[in-house]
Amino acid sequence: MAQLTLDELRKKRKEAQKGIYLREGKYKSKIIVHMGTCGIAVGAREIVTAFLEEIEILTEKDVILTTSGCAGLCSMEPMATVELLNSPSVKYGNLTTDKARRIFKEHILGGNIVTDYAIGIGSEKGG
Amino acid sequence: MAVRRIELMLCTGTGCVAGGAFRISEALEKEIQKQGLEKEISVIITGCNGFCGHGPLMLVQPDGIFYGFLTPEDIPFLVQEHFLKGRPVKKLMFSPPEKKEPVPLLSEIPFFKKQLLIVLRNRGIIDPEKIDEYIARDGFTALEKVLTSMTPDDVINEITRSGLRGRGGAGFPTGTKWKICRAEQKMPKYIICNCDEGDPGAFMDRSVFESDPLSAMEGMIIGGYAIGASHGYIYARSEYPLAIKRMNLSISSAKDYGLMGKNILGTDFSFDLEIRQGSGAFVCGEETSLILSIEGRGPEPIQRPPFPAQSGIWGCPTVINNVETWATIPVIINRGADWFSKIGTETSKGTKIFSLVGKINNAGLIEVPMGITLKEIVYDIGGGIPDNKKFKAVQTGGPSGGCIPYSMIDIPIDFESLIEAGSMMGSGGMIVMDEDTCMVDVAKFFIQFTNDESCGKCTTCRDGSEALHKVLTDITNGDGKEVDLEFLEEVGNAIKDASACGLGTTLPNPVLSTLKYFRDEYEAHIKERRCPALVCKNLIKYYILPEKCTGCKLCLKNCPPGAIKGELKHIHIIDQSKCTKCGTCLDVCPPKVSAIIKVSGKEMENITGIEEPYPVKRKGGKNET
Amino acid sequence: MSDKVGAVAVLGGGISGMQAALDLAESGLKVYLVDNKPAIGGVMAQLDKTFPTNDCAMCTMAPRLVEIGRHKDIEIITLSDIEKIEGEAGNFKVILNKKPRYINEEKCTGCGTCITNCPTRNKVQPIEKTKVELEPQFKDKVTEIIRINKDRKGPLMTILQQINSTFNYLPENVLNYVSQEVGYPLSHILKIATFYSSLSIVPRGKHIINVCMGTACYVKGSGRLMERLSDVLEIKENETTPNMLFTLKLVRCIGCCGLAPAIMIGDNVYGKLTPKDIPGIIEKYKTII
Ligand SMILES: Cc1cc2nc3c(=O)[nH]c(=O)nc-3n(C[C@H](O)[C@H](O)[C@H](O)COP(=O)(O)O)c2cc1C
Ligand code: SF4
Ligand code: SF4
Ligand code: SF4
Ligand code: FES
Ligand code: FES
Ligand code: FES
Repeated sequence: MAQLTLDELRKKRKEAQKGIYLREGKYKSKIIVHMGTCGIAVGAREIVTAFLEEIEILTEKDVILTTSGCAGLCSMEPMATVELLNSPSVKYGNLTTDKARRIFKEHILGGNIVTDYAIGIGSEKGG
Repeated sequence: MAVRRIELMLCTGTGCVAGGAFRISEALEKEIQKQGLEKEISVIITGCNGFCGHGPLMLVQPDGIFYGFLTPEDIPFLVQEHFLKGRPVKKLMFSPPEKKEPVPLLSEIPFFKKQLLIVLRNRGIIDPEKIDEYIARDGFTALEKVLTSMTPDDVINEITRSGLRGRGGAGFPTGTKWKICRAEQKMPKYIICNCDEGDPGAFMDRSVFESDPLSAMEGMIIGGYAIGASHGYIYARSEYPLAIKRMNLSISSAKDYGLMGKNILGTDFSFDLEIRQGSGAFVCGEETSLILSIEGRGPEPIQRPPFPAQSGIWGCPTVINNVETWATIPVIINRGADWFSKIGTETSKGTKIFSLVGKINNAGLIEVPMGITLKEIVYDIGGGIPDNKKFKAVQTGGPSGGCIPYSMIDIPIDFESLIEAGSMMGSGGMIVMDEDTCMVDVAKFFIQFTNDESCGKCTTCRDGSEALHKVLTDITNGDGKEVDLEFLEEVGNAIKDASACGLGTTLPNPVLSTLKYFRDEYEAHIKERRCPALVCKNLIKYYILPEKCTGCKLCLKNCPPGAIKGELKHIHIIDQSKCTKCGTCLDVCPPKVSAIIKVSGKEMENITGIEEPYPVKRKGGKNET
Repeated sequence: MSDKVGAVAVLGGGISGMQAALDLAESGLKVYLVDNKPAIGGVMAQLDKTFPTNDCAMCTMAPRLVEIGRHKDIEIITLSDIEKIEGEAGNFKVILNKKPRYINEEKCTGCGTCITNCPTRNKVQPIEKTKVELEPQFKDKVTEIIRINKDRKGPLMTILQQINSTFNYLPENVLNYVSQEVGYPLSHILKIATFYSSLSIVPRGKHIINVCMGTACYVKGSGRLMERLSDVLEIKENETTPNMLFTLKLVRCIGCCGLAPAIMIGDNVYGKLTPKDIPGIIEKYKTII
């Protein structure tokens, strides 16, 4: 590798920070995909992949994705909860990968709740 | 770089590796593959997380959940439950001994709560073998700042103003040391990082190089810029193979990036690093001895002045600092002297790493602000003493330090108050002792240590330690005389006065401090031939309580010299003439029975072990024969 | 005894001769202290420490040297051989052959200028040395180690460490070879080789078992691990089993104090041990050949 100049080092740092953003505990929004047995059965795994792909193309990585257990509403699976910083969390149900991508663009990036798919607003104790 | 949903920060410090961390990582990779999660989860290998007593361990990010005491068998369940289904696994979390509920979040575990991480800022967060991760955590921003906007004198002023004092033991102000070296006319100058870490019971230097090697190296490069040196040495213990491996990796990747070597970041400042190893001599941690050792000369310490800062390696001005000192430098440059000097006490600024080990629940490595009390460390962070035993003392400062008794548990920890208490900071070992630790035996242990490690140049150190050791051996053997205590004090003070290097001048400390605080234990050994902690072999006997023994034969089967007589359902008897006092019987006697005890002093008189085993008879019990 | 004379000749000016001369002179006799060397002091003057007390040789001698030099009744006769002794106890006649010194002893102040300016002394006097050849099993590796390190500053430690870890000890002839190639006197190399605890000049076992006797491990009972190991292997500390498999050593902290008590075999650390665990661990290593 060639020697770095100052600017290259700074660029490299920015680049590298994306690689470790999960560990910093700093994020603006959080997506929780509910992965109970029933959720997985109806395709929660694909939802996770879809979200991850969306995150991957972001330049500013401030979205984290986690999973949690069954939300108790098995008929609505697959489900996900979206939490934006300083605003109540929103639950979405009956997701497909397309719906997930739309939620990502409109809610997470745009800040507008996708009322079409939302099934509840406000904090609930997840499993 | 592909995005992950979960990162598993798995500790691969020496401690966790000893516990099988690499087997855990294999099991994780395997199960993650099996579940098809390899695109979503990655396993990151990190350095020591500090909570070594609970290893092998990992931290799940971004959730911040801590799992300890992992075994490969736990992994499939863990991966399926938590990483797939999102249900954290309680039984692998940390549970404080007094509470039933586990604590999931690392940040909530008391061990971590009171800590303030400056030197260890990257521990468990980055992969120490990847320079990019260090860079991502603001690595080399301090070097950037220094090279672009500060003169060497600015750097020295900043360090001086921060009040940073050396972390290697004596606490000499780092800025002053640099200033002296910078003022020397002679060229070239050198930088040395002291990673000899000889103090038994201390492992912070190992940990820094295992978990964040580049932070200390960045400090050294900055130091080189400040004093005008272009070559540095790291003197590492040969007992730390993993740390040395990571040093080598870091040096070569830093050189690749041009962050070390010629014309760093395109400036005209050049700096190179070289690793030299020790070979197992404690005295080589002393700065003059260390320098002689690198030079390949006989490493007996030499008289100072001249100090190494004036005339050090190859006769050239040399700044030698401890690993922890070096790793603090980048943070001070980044965040400023004012910020740093707000932490800590009037005379001792910043934080200090301690290795909290011995008879303590949460053994591990902690970084705390100076001025924290001993009590907070032992009880809040350390979680107290295991098995409800009584706290007796904390030993600090290694073989140069002393023992601080329970009565002084409220003292704030800084350089001055530890010296006042008859101990010293040393490199930061804190060995907790409980009621089962004999203080005379501990004093003897340390004197044996310094006697072994004395280079032999000064009569006082070489023969004085021998004399102390002989008297202490007599006392622990029950052959002590009352005049011995005066003798210990007198010889101890003579050694302090007349030895050339720090090893000699401090070696009597463990004896003098225990004599001061635990004189009663010495007296019990001498006057009553009794070891209150039941440790000194010549002063104790093992005894089977007839009223408790069930005649299970376990002890008989396990006794190495065959000193136990007995038959099934007979009260067993220890033949005292054969017993080697190995303690095996005490270990194997079922805890519910606990028939075997140790006795000392007067109680020993009637125990001879000449009786023959006799049948177990208990009133109305089912044991009746 | 007849015709006793009030003078004594002490033959040999070593430490015992010196002490005898002093005692005799103190009791009022005239003493001639004779030595065939240019100076008194004998072997002890060449020693650093003395057996068995490890006392510093110079500390013991220096006061006596000074006292003898100053004593009015002691006459030092150096560089002298005994030609003949005749007579009987109480009245001897000793004939000495005193060699020339080329200097006037009366006037010499011992400043040493002549030594530094001596033309012969300042010439290098080659000592006949036979060239050291390495045994075939050492040759390649040792020459390679020396080649890599020779041109570094202060190469000795690194060379010794690498030889030590390659062969598990420092073979005698290899040290002779290092001395010849790198140019350190053998005495110096031996001093270094014996100073450090991880260098060894005797062969050691394939697996070196380091039992931690650091403070943390000690208070947690590492002494008992040592006893058990010593029992199981039937060797004592610093010894090697006859089959050259294990060497038992003590170290002061291996940096795993959180796992006390700990031992290290090769590069592997075992922590939180009890004496019960020992036989199993040893068994495992017996099978890794
Ligand atoms: C016997 C003895 C052993 C020492 N061992 C160490 C050691 O293991 N590590 C260390 O950093 N300093 C050790 N020191 C202190 C060093 O001599 C020196 O003061 C220190 O490395 C300076 O660095 P600092 O100013 O950053 O503390 C030891 C001193 C003595 C007298
Ligand atoms: S005090 Fe001890 S270790 Fe230090 S120089 Fe003297 S003899 Fe050597
Ligand atoms: S202490 Fe050891 S030797 Fe003594 S009786 Fe118990 S097992 Fe046997
Ligand atoms: S192990 Fe305990 S109960 Fe069993 S025979 Fe021995 S002393 Fe008795
Ligand atoms: S080695 Fe893993 S926590 Fe210290
Ligand atoms: S100790 Fe050797 S001259 Fe005194
Ligand atoms: S005291 Fe044994 S590993 Fe540190």
